[in-house]
Amino acid sequence: MVEPFPRLSPDRCRRTSPPDVRYNCVAWAAGDTKHWWQPGVHWPVLSSRDDYGVGALEQAFLSLGYEPCSDESLEPGFEKVAIYGYGFFYTHAARQLPNGKWTSKLGKSEDIEHDSPEDVAGGVYGEVVQFVRRRRAAAGSG
Amino acid sequence: MPIAVETNVRERFEQLRTDWKEQSRYLSNSAQMAMLWPYQRIIGMGTNVVPLILAELQREADHWFWALEAITGENPVPAANAGQVDAAADAWLQWGREKGIIPANG
Repeated sequence: MVEPFPRLSPDRCRRTSPPDVRYNCVAWAAGDTKHWWQPGVHWPVLSSRDDYGVGALEQAFLSLGYEPCSDESLEPGFEKVAIYGYGFFYTHAARQLPNGKWTSKLGKSEDIEHDSPEDVAGGVYGEVVQFVRRRRAAAGSG
Repeated sequence: MPIAVETNVRERFEQLRTDWKEQSRYLSNSAQMAMLWPYQRIIGMGTNVVPLILAELQREADHWFWALEAITGENPVPAANAGQVDAAADAWLQWGREKGIIPANG
């Protein structure tokens, strides 16, 4: 069995929620804690359950107004998401916080805040394969 | 009357369930979870295991919907509730009651 998070050390992450099977990392990155996002079941674009590759996850975030970007750097006014893949599968999405840290829902387990996208790579999530960004909603705009 | 399950089937299911929960703990991609060996073995056990999956769903919410649909060929979850784990579990439990697979008051 793959070691889940070989690059994650306790000093680089903080637990921010209890475990919850009701939403996953994709939902969390998109700001939803009421659904488990899955192609063919609950997904922002037309999809089938056979769409389990990285492209399906990229398309989902593009449909939410994100655009591809080159890296994880903090850009004022933008929110970024890191997309991860392992083999054929998309595996994870992590969202950048306004302070430059990152937040991840770890599958059916807890949410954590971590220092960089790399912290949760190298194990079950494979590697970051794409960064996307969109403008942050203005405060008070809902 | 609810369907009885042989002891060896129950023991095999419980071991596979434990293994799958451990292996799928950090996964978010449902297809990836369903492709894990213990989950595939559970699907391979066929209709014998449906009462055990429904009982497990009553005990603790988890992503058993793929297996239930693969085994039974049915999907009782209303489209409006797709992606809502508690609502999907309720729909499957109601389906099990209507089919007489689990007790009507269970």
